[in-house]
Amino acid sequence: MNRKPRGLPGLAMAALLAAWPVAYAACDAGPGVQRGQTARVALAFRTDPPVIKVGELFSLQAEVCPQGGISVTGLKVDAGMPAHGHGMNYQPRVSRTGPGKYTATGMMFHMPGQWQFRFDVETPAGRERIRVDYTAG
Amino acid sequence: MRRAGSLIAAWLLAIGVAAQTLPADYTPEEIRRIQAHGPWPQPVLRDPSNRASGHADAIALGRALFFDMRLSPRGDLSCASCHQPGRALTDGRDRAQGGGAAMPRLDRNTQGLWNVAQARWFGWDGGSDSLWSFAIRPILHPDELGASAIDVGRLLRGDAALACRYNNAYGRAVPPDAAAETILVDAAKAIGAYLETLVSGKSAFDELHDALARGDMAVAARYPAAARRGLALFTGKGQCGVCHFGPNFSNGEFHDIGIPYMVAPGRVDSGRHGGIRRVRGDKYNLLGAFSDDATRASGSRTRHVAENHTTYGQFKVPSLRNVELTAPYMHDGRLPTLRDVVRHYSGLNEDRLHQDGEALLKPLRLTEQESEDLVAFLRTLTSRMFPDVSATPGPCHRRDARKE
Repeated sequence: MNRKPRGLPGLAMAALLAAWPVAYAACDAGPGVQRGQTARVALAFRTDPPVIKVGELFSLQAEVCPQGGISVTGLKVDAGMPAHGHGMNYQPRVSRTGPGKYTATGMMFHMPGQWQFRFDVETPAGRERIRVDYTAG
Repeated sequence: MRRAGSLIAAWLLAIGVAAQTLPADYTPEEIRRIQAHGPWPQPVLRDPSNRASGHADAIALGRALFFDMRLSPRGDLSCASCHQPGRALTDGRDRAQGGGAAMPRLDRNTQGLWNVAQARWFGWDGGSDSLWSFAIRPILHPDELGASAIDVGRLLRGDAALACRYNNAYGRAVPPDAAAETILVDAAKAIGAYLETLVSGKSAFDELHDALARGDMAVAARYPAAARRGLALFTGKGQCGVCHFGPNFSNGEFHDIGIPYMVAPGRVDSGRHGGIRRVRGDKYNLLGAFSDDATRASGSRTRHVAENHTTYGQFKVPSLRNVELTAPYMHDGRLPTLRDVVRHYSGLNEDRLHQDGEALLKPLRLTEQESEDLVAFLRTLTSRMFPDVSATPGPCHRRDARKE
């Protein structure tokens, strides 16, 4: 049941909703879902297991939601520790499981601390990089 | 008057109690960091790639082979020649000594084997991805035991007790020479099953860990003050626990810590870089035909390990459990004492590190007191109890095929 915004605050709300990228809806946050976006694309993902254990392989399922009708041609997934200046010791494999949907396997955070996921969304217009922080351990 | 006396007695008691409990006044953050290094011991999970894993008969066979000098056709070495029970399953040398007439000095330090099943890569370069494939390498290496698969088969067939143990472990007689490679792998899997049992007991640190977990501050207060200061350095300023992570005090991975990797003029030890190539090319790896894991899921790490250029000169982060007993230190045994190790990190030469390596590594610039405290902490990681690994198993009574 949708409620219409009313009055001045309602107009402001309507303007906000109009500005909100409707196409991102499928990439909304939810339980266990992490999210990042650029001006042109949003991405939501969940890891398996939901809490990443240091030193154990994990996988993730990602959904890419482009805005304004652009198409997504691929996704690369990587991660690193910016403060340590290094990445993972393992090379994930990414496979497409459906339109805009991908699975990455073979990831491992081998140290506790601040990690950063790096998603490179490939589109005909170029690459969009999305970064999402994660604290492990 | 009597009442005043009672009050003074109560006050003195309170002062006394406060003085006793003060050293155990750990902050929640300290407790959280300490809890990350336990509990101990950790469970040893059965290895799906090794059907002998966890089977008593296979463990008995593996133990017999581990101590048997005849596993080397020259009769001059067994696994226990370098992994000596009286020396925390290492040899006390800087670099291992090989066998044969030349008795060559090998390139690397012999790693201790206590709690080795907690690792995911084996050897300083991680060139093996399972305990059983780790056991195959020294059996075949000409500078070590120098055996062939046929030698191993003949040893097992020719000795009644070993043949009996093989039969009980694998439910069949030792196959003929035509199946020599299968026998070699079976022998290595039995040794792997034995290595899984090498679990050391609790240490003074574990007693602190457990006491804090149950809120027993009286027991926690028994932990030595110097070790506690060292522990605070280890988990705090030193950031040692980032790599020496978890209950086994190792994240199981590889780092360059500025130890030179020139073995001899013109010859380098490439460390992890070579190890990755070796494990990928190893027909006994977890993705190969000899793994008992039909799903090959246990080989996921081998499938995904990345061969980055930064792996050159990296060596495995060793467990620090029982580190007091495993001198000398580092992959080439160049540092004789724990004080030398602490001194290495204190004055770390950043010029020796990879330019794009671990940025966390900085000279700790410890005071003399801090260095002593860190060593005092490391000494509390020594187990108070070790199982008797050299206990001779009883006589073997041949049984019918084992039911899996």
